[in-house]
Amino acid sequence: MSKPEKISWSARLLHVVFLRPIVRIIFGVNIIGKENLDKLEQFIIIANHNSHLDIALLYFLLPIGYIARTHPVADLPHFSKFRIVFSLVSFFFKPIWVTRGKPDIEDDPFGDIKSALSLGHNVIIFPEGTRGEPGELQHFKSGIGRLMTQCPDIPIVPVFITGPERALPRKSALILPIWNSLIVGPPQKCTGEHRQITKRLENVIIELANSESARRHKRRPHERKRPKQVAFLGIDGSGKSTISSSVAKSLSVESRVGLVSDELRFFEHGESEHLQPLATEKIRHAIGGYSKKAKSLKFYKIPKLTELLLRDQLLGMVRRWYSPDLVVMDGSPLLNLLAWSSLYKGDIMDNAVCSKIIGIVSGRVRETKRDDPIYALFPELAHLKRLGLAKLSLPDIVVLIDIKPETACGRIDSRGEHKQVHETVDKLSRLRDAYLRVCDVIREDWNVPTLIIDGEQSKTDVATAGYEFVNKTPGVEA
Amino acid sequence: MIDFTLPIFMLISLLGILTIPVIIRLISKRRFLFDSYLGYSWLFFLGFIVFEIISRPVGIGILAFISFRAIREYFSLADIRLQDRLAILGAYLSIPFLYYFVYTEWYGMFIVSVPVYAFLAIPILVTLGGKKTEGTVLSIGIINYGLFLFVFCIGHIGYLLLYSSWLAALLIINVFVCDLVICLVRHKTSALPKKLFYSFFLSAPLTIAISLLLSGWTEIPFGHSAILASMIPILVIMGHHVGDYIEKDLGIEEDLLVPGRGQILDNLQSLFYVAPVMFHYIRYFLK
Repeated sequence: MSKPEKISWSARLLHVVFLRPIVRIIFGVNIIGKENLDKLEQFIIIANHNSHLDIALLYFLLPIGYIARTHPVADLPHFSKFRIVFSLVSFFFKPIWVTRGKPDIEDDPFGDIKSALSLGHNVIIFPEGTRGEPGELQHFKSGIGRLMTQCPDIPIVPVFITGPERALPRKSALILPIWNSLIVGPPQKCTGEHRQITKRLENVIIELANSESARRHKRRPHERKRPKQVAFLGIDGSGKSTISSSVAKSLSVESRVGLVSDELRFFEHGESEHLQPLATEKIRHAIGGYSKKAKSLKFYKIPKLTELLLRDQLLGMVRRWYSPDLVVMDGSPLLNLLAWSSLYKGDIMDNAVCSKIIGIVSGRVRETKRDDPIYALFPELAHLKRLGLAKLSLPDIVVLIDIKPETACGRIDSRGEHKQVHETVDKLSRLRDAYLRVCDVIREDWNVPTLIIDGEQSKTDVATAGYEFVNKTPGVEA
Repeated sequence: MIDFTLPIFMLISLLGILTIPVIIRLISKRRFLFDSYLGYSWLFFLGFIVFEIISRPVGIGILAFISFRAIREYFSLADIRLQDRLAILGAYLSIPFLYYFVYTEWYGMFIVSVPVYAFLAIPILVTLGGKKTEGTVLSIGIINYGLFLFVFCIGHIGYLLLYSSWLAALLIINVFVCDLVICLVRHKTSALPKKLFYSFFLSAPLTIAISLLLSGWTEIPFGHSAILASMIPILVIMGHHVGDYIEKDLGIEEDLLVPGRGQILDNLQSLFYVAPVMFHYIRYFLK
């Protein structure tokens, strides 16, 4: 534990005659709410952290007499990389050095800070821990809350800094003159549990960020956020429609979920929601029913393909008209198509071909030559492309329910419905292999998070596993 | 070395008169109705006098600094993407680019510097800055428009200064008077036609009187003086009107104007139309 040194008089002089005027002429500084700092004997300043300029700007707040006994808390390993930076920072600011992410277990992590505070010094803390992405407030680390539980008498002055994130953002060497604003909020005294304190201080900074003084020009976002698409795959009889609807229901507790299965449904707050039916949906139903009655694979092909294409259309409509946060699909048109084509042309399918077809049909690879060998193997691709249908959407998350064909056949038999042409052990096992290959390809080549669940367990277990996988995948806020 | 002719002497005394309220403002730290207008006119007059009696490049440098301050404020308020920062640097560099041609009195290059070369350079810099294509058109538009207003339009005052410092001073005095009138009218009424009507008919007699009084020093004939002086209020009102819309879009509240948050833009908005039009009128008819 070291005793904090005062900032030397030469550094103080340079602060006043050099640092402040230079920053003012090059960047320009506005201070709003400076009266909040008046009449405070001792304080802790907390601020959002976007740039190395932040610390120099915060010293603008201080009356000249306070400069000597105010210290920022800084990360030692970060600043000691270059000796010149280290000595400059030490000379101007005399920071209290800490090591990020390694709290000393024997030693009190706040030892130096508390000894500075007990001597009547002021402390500047960036509770975000490090500089975040430009213009975005990160969650506060719990350190500030823990410190406040130990020194509850010292008022905290929240400051929101705007400007440096554009003047000198992280990962950029180009310094631009951009006017900076410091918005000082009223001093806070916090008591309570450390988590609550941290949360409260974070909210204070967010409030300052949203205040009138921080407002500026904002462009409207160009596009609405595209909802994530979760696809459940599996051979017939794997129970994917039951599972997808139960997963959709559990996901809908915190977000709006659309389910595209045999029928179109929406869920919100864990409950089903009635919405106006779409015409496409009715056509799809009719064609789907027709394909189920087909007598041979040959007659099955065209209605099934149409059904899949319509299903993809429907997905677009759901996004456009209902804008859910998440779309759960029972099967994915693109991947089903791919698996089914292996059923017809199993001999020429391998992973490379599969990946290439995904690229073409999803419209993500545009630069394929017209005489590419893939078009000779699959003349249908050229037709799809010419008709402008080669833009099926690739799901963002895929869950494959893997089940033995024998079990599947047993389940289908027990339903007692009319059996479709492909629902035999032989064909289902080929289909299963095709699905496994497709999952392999999209995971390896297209970086889609994919989970393969053993479908032999009970349906509740499968649904729970699927829900957990979807929920913990980054980018899904459910 | 310095020739203290009467016009120059009068210009200096004008600066002296303006300095008094500026100093009062600095010491008392109290705000009054048009203190910010006083501040910027003072800066312009300082530039003119330094240009006239001390050093021509320094005088033009002061005008360039006014441009820099204004465009810096504009870029701080506008929503720029991170990848536009290179183009913003380009925009800052166009200020010395334009004012250099003012200094060398190269009219042809001065008049094309921003509208041709800077406007063509900015899109390249925007596209070199990053790979994101969304928002490119808006970014180019924002940066180029800022350049046009704060560097090109204000730069015309610099070239006017080359003709005669009293011409530039006449412009600033007239605009100042119009600003005062608009400031007073704005607090009385909010209906637009009424505002325009009052602003024009209250300020036009003043500007005409000033222009005719000063026509000996500005060397503008009486007829042209009267025409120019009646044009100025209209142009100032147009500039104000456009400026108001820009301010609203940039998210500036009129009650919270401080430098860096709209005050500089608010002060200079009356010059956007006057400076180029008055300059070209004089250049076409009188030079």
